[in-house]
Amino acid sequence: MTKPMSLKIENLTKHYSLPQGDLAVLTGVDLTVQPGEFISIVGASGCGKSTLLRLIGGLEQVSEGRILFDETPIQNPGLDRGIVFQESRLFPWFTIEENIAFGCRKNLVESEKQQIVQDHIKLVGLLGFEKAYPHQLSGGMQQRTAIARALVSRPQILLLDEPFGALDALTRIQMQQEILNIWQKEKITVILVTHDIDEAVFLGDRVLVMSNRPGTFKKTLSVPLARPRDRNSAAFLALRKKIYDEFFSKKKTGGRSR
Amino acid sequence: MVSNPPPKPKHPFSFYLLPFILPILLITVWQLASNLDWLQSSILPSPLVIAQTLLDLLKSGELLKNIAVSLLRVLEGFAIGAGLGLIAGLIMGLSRSMERLLSLITGLLRPIPTIAWIPALILWMGIGESSKITVIAVGSFWPVLLSVIQGVRSTDPKYLEVARILEKDRVTLLTKVIIPSALPSIFTGLRIGMGIAWASVVGAELIAASSGIGFMIMYAREVSQPDVMLVGVAAIGLTGLLIDFLLLQLQRRLLKWNSVWGGES
Repeated sequence: MTKPMSLKIENLTKHYSLPQGDLAVLTGVDLTVQPGEFISIVGASGCGKSTLLRLIGGLEQVSEGRILFDETPIQNPGLDRGIVFQESRLFPWFTIEENIAFGCRKNLVESEKQQIVQDHIKLVGLLGFEKAYPHQLSGGMQQRTAIARALVSRPQILLLDEPFGALDALTRIQMQQEILNIWQKEKITVILVTHDIDEAVFLGDRVLVMSNRPGTFKKTLSVPLARPRDRNSAAFLALRKKIYDEFFSKKKTGGRSR
Repeated sequence: MVSNPPPKPKHPFSFYLLPFILPILLITVWQLASNLDWLQSSILPSPLVIAQTLLDLLKSGELLKNIAVSLLRVLEGFAIGAGLGLIAGLIMGLSRSMERLLSLITGLLRPIPTIAWIPALILWMGIGESSKITVIAVGSFWPVLLSVIQGVRSTDPKYLEVARILEKDRVTLLTKVIIPSALPSIFTGLRIGMGIAWASVVGAELIAASSGIGFMIMYAREVSQPDVMLVGVAAIGLTGLLIDFLLLQLQRRLLKWNSVWGGES
């Protein structure tokens, strides 16, 4: 692997032009992500957290400010940034193996490609399902395939857009554990967008809380707990409550920020 | 969320029998009516007479020869028409400006019934093979064109985005994403196109030909052989059914990934 690269977001603004005028989605977003860090971004739906991820992915253009990846502004999607969405977005006409191979970089020798694909099938625990079609697999297995597809090109950053949002609670917990294993094994930077507070605290080195419309980071919490984390420990619950309060209790009393 | 491969239900024998009940009933009534002299044999011969004629025509090889002649014309015409429809459909489906450029001319030509071209084509190309093959090509071109455009257009933008993220070039995008995604729609167009091709060849042969199944029917009318005529008509139906069955098998094979189109339909 090449040397780790840092991601830097500076005073980012994103708005969409609508007939009724400009709609601000994100304002004044600043963030520096260290190589190998696991960042969780929590926010309510529609707060712009997915848009932020799409901007980092290069799928959309920033309105103001900039996103620097390895000192260069991001303009296009690239294999150095893998993305996994809430829907697996697997191609139904490809087998699991072919779907994962589709993520490979060009100009790989066939044997090399096969090896990489095989390694990643093993990594996400799908041995034996190589020849299956996506519709034959469960939602969790489909997401594993999508993760493998995003990883085969050996990206520097893995962007996860509510990847477990559509899974049942038990599968979700299992997948969280696995994404952690993958992160530790691959030494990759991960940015996870979620609305699940528990998931954000369980996974992230830092949890960024995003406010609503226009979205901006209103709070950053580091999670100083050693992994594997116990979801029922007092420290975990205290952190969880702190974030929970950001969204709920204070609205009732009318206050917004500290 | 677990979706296992759809279980292949074992059908009872009656399931396979079901499609045959009505035809058998119809033929029985027909035969009875003939036996009772309710039907005039010079206008509608009895099923038994037709069956005897069928055997004779099979034995002499006349029927199969004529079907083979027509089938060859269909295959040639369909290959040209469907091929052009595929190419034009991809171009028009991928490029809005190309579609706009061609929209008026395709809009004008498309509603013209295939058989309306036959007199003009005979004038231009004579009564040889080329005019018949052209009629078939024209007939099969339109459904393929429309289904390809529709299929290409309806590619899920989410899939296109994945291809963008994975830095795929245009050729890969077309062959690995757009065409497979359009395949179910394309197949519908191919099946309709083949049906029209088979219908057009008979039409062309009825007007001008010296061989083929359409010619056989027309000639039988001229020499008042209603049984031969009806054998010819039945042969058209059976061959058409067989062709569609083969296309359906091909579709199931190619679309086995698709739980709707690859399964039974």
